Amino acid sequence: MQHSSKPVLFAALLGAICTTLAPVMASDIVPTPKQIRSVLIKNATVHTVSQGVLSNTDVLIENGKITAVGPQLTSQTNSATAETSDTQVVDASGKHLYPGLIALDTSLGLVEIEMSRPTVDNAEVGYINPQISSATAYNADSELIPTIRFNGITHAQIVPSGDGIAGQSVLVDLDAWTIEDALTQSAGQFHVYWPQIKRMPEDEKKKAKAIEKNQQAIDQLNIAFEDGYRYFLSDKAKGKDKTKDEDPQSATNNLRWQAMLPLYQGKATLFAHADSVGQIEQVIALTKKYQFKLVIVGGYDAWRLASSLREVKAGVIYPHTLSLPKRKDEPVDLPFKIPSLLANAGVPFALGFSSDWNSRNLPYAAGYSAAYGLTPEQALKSITLDAAKLLGVEDLGAIAVGYQGSVVLSEGDILDPMTNKIEAIWIEGRQIDLNNRHQQLYQKYLKR
Amino acid sequence: MIASLVSQTTYAQINTGTTSNKLTAFTHAELMIAPGKRLSDATLLVENNRIKAIIEHGDIPAGAFKIDLSGYTIYPGFIDPFTDYGIEFEYPKLGLTRPVYDIKRIGGNADNGAIHSEKEWFNYVYPNKERAKEWINNGFTSVQSSKLDGIFRGTAVSLSLADKTANEVIYRARSQPFMAFDKGSSEQDYPSSLMGSIALIRQTFADANWYNQNKNKQGNGAINNQVEFNIAFERLDDLTDKQIIFETKNLNDQLRAAHLLKEHKLPANLLGNGQEYSRINELKALNYPLILPLNYPQAPDVGTDDADREVSLADLRQWERAPTNPAEVAKAGIPFALTQFGIKTDAFWPRLRQAIAQGLSEEQALAALTTQAAEMTGTADFTGKLAPGYMADFVVTKGNIFKEGQIYSVWLQGQQQSLRSLPQARLLGDYQLSLNNLTLDLSLQDVSKGDKPKIQGSLSSGEQSIALTQLKLDDDGRLSFTADLSAAGINGLSRFTLWMADDGIQGRMVDAKSRTTNVAGIAIAQTAAVDNATQADNQTPKDKANTSLVSHLTYPNVAYGLSEAPKVEKLHIKNATLWTSDKQGILEHADLLMANGRIEKIGQQLSTPSGYQVLDATGKHLTAGIIDEHSHIAINGGTNEGTDAVTSEVRIGDVINPDDISLYRALAGGVTSAQILHGSANPIGGQSQLIKMKWGETAEQLKFANAPASIKFALGENVKQSNWGEKFVQRFPQTRMGVKALFEETFDAAIAYENALKAYDDLRSSDKKKTVAPRPSYRLQAVAEVLNQQRDVHIHSYVQSEILMFIRLAEAYHFKVQTFTHVLEGYKVASELAAHGAGASTFADWWAYKFEVYDAIPQNACLMQNKGVTTSINSDDYEMQRRLNQEAAKSMMYCNMSKEGAWNMVTINPAKQLRVDEFVGSLTPGKMADIVLWNAEPLSIYAKVTQAWVEGKRYFDRDQDQVAQLAVVNERAALIQKILSSDEQAKAGEKVTPLNEPQWHCDTHYQAWGHTHEGAK
Repeated sequence: MQHSSKPVLFAALLGAICTTLAPVMASDIVPTPKQIRSVLIKNATVHTVSQGVLSNTDVLIENGKITAVGPQLTSQTNSATAETSDTQVVDASGKHLYPGLIALDTSLGLVEIEMSRPTVDNAEVGYINPQISSATAYNADSELIPTIRFNGITHAQIVPSGDGIAGQSVLVDLDAWTIEDALTQSAGQFHVYWPQIKRMPEDEKKKAKAIEKNQQAIDQLNIAFEDGYRYFLSDKAKGKDKTKDEDPQSATNNLRWQAMLPLYQGKATLFAHADSVGQIEQVIALTKKYQFKLVIVGGYDAWRLASSLREVKAGVIYPHTLSLPKRKDEPVDLPFKIPSLLANAGVPFALGFSSDWNSRNLPYAAGYSAAYGLTPEQALKSITLDAAKLLGVEDLGAIAVGYQGSVVLSEGDILDPMTNKIEAIWIEGRQIDLNNRHQQLYQKYLKR
Repeated sequence: MIASLVSQTTYAQINTGTTSNKLTAFTHAELMIAPGKRLSDATLLVENNRIKAIIEHGDIPAGAFKIDLSGYTIYPGFIDPFTDYGIEFEYPKLGLTRPVYDIKRIGGNADNGAIHSEKEWFNYVYPNKERAKEWINNGFTSVQSSKLDGIFRGTAVSLSLADKTANEVIYRARSQPFMAFDKGSSEQDYPSSLMGSIALIRQTFADANWYNQNKNKQGNGAINNQVEFNIAFERLDDLTDKQIIFETKNLNDQLRAAHLLKEHKLPANLLGNGQEYSRINELKALNYPLILPLNYPQAPDVGTDDADREVSLADLRQWERAPTNPAEVAKAGIPFALTQFGIKTDAFWPRLRQAIAQGLSEEQALAALTTQAAEMTGTADFTGKLAPGYMADFVVTKGNIFKEGQIYSVWLQGQQQSLRSLPQARLLGDYQLSLNNLTLDLSLQDVSKGDKPKIQGSLSSGEQSIALTQLKLDDDGRLSFTADLSAAGINGLSRFTLWMADDGIQGRMVDAKSRTTNVAGIAIAQTAAVDNATQADNQTPKDKANTSLVSHLTYPNVAYGLSEAPKVEKLHIKNATLWTSDKQGILEHADLLMANGRIEKIGQQLSTPSGYQVLDATGKHLTAGIIDEHSHIAINGGTNEGTDAVTSEVRIGDVINPDDISLYRALAGGVTSAQILHGSANPIGGQSQLIKMKWGETAEQLKFANAPASIKFALGENVKQSNWGEKFVQRFPQTRMGVKALFEETFDAAIAYENALKAYDDLRSSDKKKTVAPRPSYRLQAVAEVLNQQRDVHIHSYVQSEILMFIRLAEAYHFKVQTFTHVLEGYKVASELAAHGAGASTFADWWAYKFEVYDAIPQNACLMQNKGVTTSINSDDYEMQRRLNQEAAKSMMYCNMSKEGAWNMVTINPAKQLRVDEFVGSLTPGKMADIVLWNAEPLSIYAKVTQAWVEGKRYFDRDQDQVAQLAVVNERAALIQKILSSDEQAKAGEKVTPLNEPQWHCDTHYQAWGHTHEGAK
């Protein structure tokens, strides 16, 4: 893919409006309409992710897509919009331009206030729930969302949690009226939470019981995946698409196994939440049996299993950077270092931040991993391009021609709160409102 | 039924009138009359149930019945000072559903269900022949028993294990009071935590003192000035004359018990745990005798790498080192007894022999089993030795019991309980038999296992050996067996009956055709003994090979522990960027001198005084150590005593856990001090403890010296039990309105308490003798200290209404609130906070985890700081604690705080809030050298601590940490190899699941005593 097309040698600013990035106002936070005007960001230090860091570089976004990257572009570099509308030109001298960050494994829009049960919609009861999807409950109006994007996060994976097969996640952009607006095209995503004993009881009897219960849970999952596979085989034998032809009420049609068909057809990815070697090995065994596309979520011990993971072409979403070592004897800084261990082991990975409100700290988790072994470029890639790839999205997470026009402009280093100051964010070329609940309260109480 | 049997016996005895003495002489024995004192070929003379004499030379009284024990050893009977043998009693189960605030008051008992000090367990003694065998089989003749339930468990009884009536077996009816931290079967909620138990003990000691000093005063006539009857307190009157037997489950609790008892100057013996060796000096200094169980742990599961990863180095070490513990305790000179408590009894002797293989001397072991134990059971003047007048409680063994010897019989009050037949044993050995023209060698061997006696025999002629079947040996010397002697020319099965006596063997053989042949024989002397000795010699080298250790002993004895304490450095740190946290701001290319644990000097291009090491810090950043105002690390047994609404008597300082790896992890994040707080489960929580991260030091040494006293108060959702579940709706308060009222009531009660104390204090001494003193209350005392400005309040708070409420309430009661902690809506009342002079310690960006933090904003710190509030950033979290530097930087990002302002929020500002800014918090000459060197600007995400010093000692060094990481890996590998290559005996042991406490948070509800709880997470 080319990173710039038709570099233009002179800047044609005639008719363009040099935007001032206005301070936030205490106003309603309204989603920005579809991009009409082109956006030309000039003279930025561009962290392309795919092609390194380019200084004094311009980026042109048209119709939601990046159409040119290079020195001294003009708004006429491309296409249709140039003639019909003004171009928004932004002087980004001395500033840094990044691709919008992608937060994986969040419960945004599903949870408003963690301890207030009526506002919590992320975990269903039951053990085998492949038929449910986070899209159903996503609240595009959550007060949390504008505070997340304030730190440069433009997209998030909305993940149901629970036990066993917990449902399907979706990728959304964080500036939308409804879930239908928010949905971003990505591959199907099924989540299984691999059983584990969360805290081993001290009592011997309870310990034995916990171990037995855990094994039962594993058995139950294996049976479910086998049942799903049988359904897939019989579906294939019938040689027709059940979703169109069959009565959903019919006895042969099972909502759960029907929902899981894309997984067996290789069209969807299995996101298996697993941390220990034992868990991950069990997941790999399952994956081999059914040839799933696999992403491990958690993956605390995944770096120890690099060759097995490569064998099944699995990636890892590692959300534990800002966590304590899981075991008392491990090095104090192991969780910080695991991203670099994954990188060195050649396992494709992205960083996640398994939370709702707190997922806004994703960039600083990446910053930490850069302090402990990753290069800053690798760290940035792990929350942009590599994150997109694990979701099966091909045009997100880099600043290059053909990619979605989701970019973030900061005065400093987006990974370091000491210098980071985000001035503007565009999602598919739409400059979004950086106002949020926190800014509103801040502005209000500045007046007291 | 039993009663009638007993009376029949009595009746029969009276009738026969048998009052004559039974005099028995055990002759030619080896007598271990006391530890280290051995007599050979001596006689033990027993009259009825007591020892009459030890006769070394000279005549045995004519009337004595003699038992020849040549070849045998007699030890004094062993004593187990920690059992619940022979107590027939169960506490009634009330089956109450939680929460349970009050218990049934009955018979003048205490008001807490874990206090049973009124119980005197001799009342419930009922000898139990079957259970007694658990001890007798190992040579024990007497024990000390109590019901092992509750905190104050009552007074134990010392008793013989003899199969006699209760009246006869009771050696000392009221021996020692038993205690523990575990509330046991008490259904009352309080105490739910370890610190709650400790506070309850402290209060009960005070109550008992008060009760016993005041119970006989007449009072001044007013009804409320009478002492109501309380048998629980009454029975605690004489604690200084007794030795409390205190049970704990691990080393830290044992040390806590020792400190608590020392604080009250009470004599005691402490139940051990097998980990004493790892803090032996601290234990030694506390000077309490121990009762050691031989609870060696089973080898941890290291069968796969996945399994071994879940095993900590500390547990691997404990597996290897537990058998060395008794020897280490002995080496330290701490007196100790042994107990069978907590283990399978057939493991007792093999384990004790392991301890001896690891260096415990036989003399020390015998003392532990006899004289030391007798001291603890209050029976030292008549048990524990072989001496005239002592009880005829003794053990007869063949061979050295501390090596391969076996117990043959145990005598309890002069009554024999045989484990193996003595006469039979004497007949074992080799004989030569002749029948017709044949000469055959007969060999009889003891192949007993444990307490299951078995004899095996063979006949041989030259190379040929024939096993004997249906072998039977009677005590009177009759031996019968069947043998197939076809090889010797006697066809079919032949049956032998032989009478064995000192002067030879006579008997007969009946062959297959029922023909009888006479048999005669003689003994072949000493052969058996030689064989035994050879066997023993063969075993010894193998045992010795196993005693070398591959584990290290560190402080604390966990991964990353230090093998030696760091020394105070004299150091010249050169050419660093100094973030002073005082008015000098940030100094580039600056130096710092430190010595004697203090910062001496800062400035540019200082010269190096002689004797100082130089550290070139070019490109690095030097700061004061980070101080965390709000932390719950390094606690054992719960962070909340969240049962009652007011628990100001509990002290975090009682439950500091110096082994917590969090201390080391905090250092690695640049944190050198933290205030360890009670949780927020009740409006008036417990007393806080400021600590320093002196990794490797004892719990006491971690405490920040000279820090002001402080206490945790709390407001809002947690204290009104909003998220505890539907059952928790009884406790006052359930609303923010009630919270205020509760504070008012408690403050008033504290004032009234103080006034009463003062009024009593003002009385003339003659009036004091007549007047009942106010009952002491640690709870109200701590609150009174708050009102007197002697104890700082750090109050957990969120919303503006409650913050304002408490400011106004404090003003009404004339005290200053030191710090509002969390204070997430502090920005809404920043002017009021500033005007009151309260500090504010907040999160950088936490919100939305519950309703009361829905208005929390990351600009809170800026808004408060701008209005002049001393503001800090705290962690309240194990993980975030090590990133407080970047948490502070978030205020630069969210609201443009300056670098200096941000850095002050984690150094000098929390020091001010904790009122320790005269000691720490900035790089100011004269302050303690609690300093941290960073590889980059400390506020940056890329900053790492390279070194951290506390009081001039380097407790963390990143290069050293790399070395330690490798050492941990290697030591683990060596121990895993050792386990894998060990035999089953070395791998066997008690199933010990390590203490697995959660990470504490403000709202952690934890039942330290294992009761289930349905409250909030």
